[in-house]
Amino acid sequence: MRRADIALACAALALALALPQLAGPFWMGLVTQMLIFGLLALSVDLLLGQTGLFSLCHASFFAVAAYTVAILQVRYAVPTALAAPAGLLAGTLLALVFGIAVRTRGVYFILTTIALGYIVWGVAHRWSSFTGGDNGVTNVPFPALGALRIDSHTEYYYFVLAVMIACALGYRVLIDSPFGLGLRGIKASETRMRSLGYRTNLHLYAAFVLSGLLASLAGVLYVYYNRFVNPVSASFPISVEATLMAIVGGSGTIVGPFIGAAVILGLRNWVSSFFELYATVMGVVFIATVLWAPEGIVGLLIRLRLRIASARREAS
Amino acid sequence: MMTGAILQAINGVSLAALLFLLASGFTLSFGVMRVVNMAHGAYYLLGGYVGLSTVRATGSFALAIVAGGAAIVLLGFFVDRFLLRRTGENHLAQVLLSVGVAFVIGDIALQIWGGDSLKVPVPELLRGPMELPGGLIYPAYRFVLIFFGIVVGVLLWLLYRKTQIGAVVRAGVDDREQVSATGINIDRLFVMVSALASFLAGMSGVVGGAFLTLYPGAEWEILVYALVVVIVGGLGSLEGAMIGALIVGLLDAYGRWLLPEFSYFVLFAPMALLLLVRPRGLFGKEF
Repeated sequence: MRRADIALACAALALALALPQLAGPFWMGLVTQMLIFGLLALSVDLLLGQTGLFSLCHASFFAVAAYTVAILQVRYAVPTALAAPAGLLAGTLLALVFGIAVRTRGVYFILTTIALGYIVWGVAHRWSSFTGGDNGVTNVPFPALGALRIDSHTEYYYFVLAVMIACALGYRVLIDSPFGLGLRGIKASETRMRSLGYRTNLHLYAAFVLSGLLASLAGVLYVYYNRFVNPVSASFPISVEATLMAIVGGSGTIVGPFIGAAVILGLRNWVSSFFELYATVMGVVFIATVLWAPEGIVGLLIRLRLRIASARREAS
Repeated sequence: MMTGAILQAINGVSLAALLFLLASGFTLSFGVMRVVNMAHGAYYLLGGYVGLSTVRATGSFALAIVAGGAAIVLLGFFVDRFLLRRTGENHLAQVLLSVGVAFVIGDIALQIWGGDSLKVPVPELLRGPMELPGGLIYPAYRFVLIFFGIVVGVLLWLLYRKTQIGAVVRAGVDDREQVSATGINIDRLFVMVSALASFLAGMSGVVGGAFLTLYPGAEWEILVYALVVVIVGGLGSLEGAMIGALIVGLLDAYGRWLLPEFSYFVLFAPMALLLLVRPRGLFGKEF
């Protein structure tokens, strides 16, 4: 990291810590949501940015984790200490199963993950005796660990922030590890990695499961924030939006998905306050991103920085 | 029980007929242009809505089919030419871009036709039930749909296998560079195939809207069915789309009947298993 980056990170952290003093409850809710969906976008980008696999079923892990927590807490009064790990476990188990998709590549992988994602949506939607159907599961309590309990949105914001920072650091360790290098090698040229003796399918499968675990974590955080869950959280548009967040922010980076989540959710809130055709605006964002900003905001900033640096070099 | 099983078989085959209409366009446009167009579901929905308005204005179902198809041919041309073509062969970009297009189409359709479930009125002749041999009572429209699907399927197959245009299209699926090296105008071929695919999508919206109804969100539900059809059958293969549609239609009908809460599971789990054995579907080629 360069000194400027460290300064920027410290400033961002200070701002994040001071935010509850500066902003009202509405904004705190929105920022919490940005962090949670940023994590979901990061989980999508673990595949997209590091391995080049474009998965469109991450809403499944997110939703299965959320449903597990909600059903255990609300219907069986299971404490958070058990319900939250159970949610993570359920989402990760699903990723272990859906991981078979890594046998396919390219378009087939995309289409297969879409279809797999619909299984979860279909079950959430149709198995109403267990999942509550379209009404979902409501009245999820705030998380509590024995005597330690969270009972305000501000406290929950700090909790989510801490989890997010831990995840971002863990993610960085992961992608700097030999395993992470192997993944980027596969992204660059799978045939070469295979001829070097890497078991590429196994690498991709491991990445898929890890990515599912991260998406499940986002799901657990989401259900405690949102206090209810319904089939919308498992739906295809959520998977697509998470991908869009990663790309708008900058795929292959750690801050990118969070920036993307902030931009997309901010835009949604702002636009839907005065304009009915919100989905149209989102559609246009999709199209514009693909056509004009495929490297995302971080990519544009890096390019800008390079240009300034080279202009400076020429001047001196 | 036995009658139920037979009725479900007819249900499955008539759904298969509809799915084939939609999936054949999707699979052909992928085979020839290497374009994954996720807006196909939205084309279906919009085509259906246009058909609905046509029936309301003129009372003619046949005209509705033509109008629904034609409207999508026009729209599809612009989407292909000005948006999808700019993505080259980047499937990720194509998927995101066409999902964006589908969002826009769905949202605008919602503004025009509203959020209620709408049904395209079926022509007088096909309304109500009919008696099939063996004393089974079945909706006439869905039964006739099977024949419609077979006729379109045979026509497409003849076009694809027995005509010169079909030969060029098949050659294009196998090796695009070679085709354009032999002096065939590949651009014109693309426009033709894309128009055909769009027409099929718009038409299937009208046909499907008459029994599955049209509502916001229907575009994604039908798209996923079509995707499973092409995954099972193999991308780019017309025969694959036929077989895939039959498998998906029957699985869905029996799944809904026997395990209503898990019908999606019944549909998608065999697909996932098939991919374990044949990652490119039954008739898929290496792309």
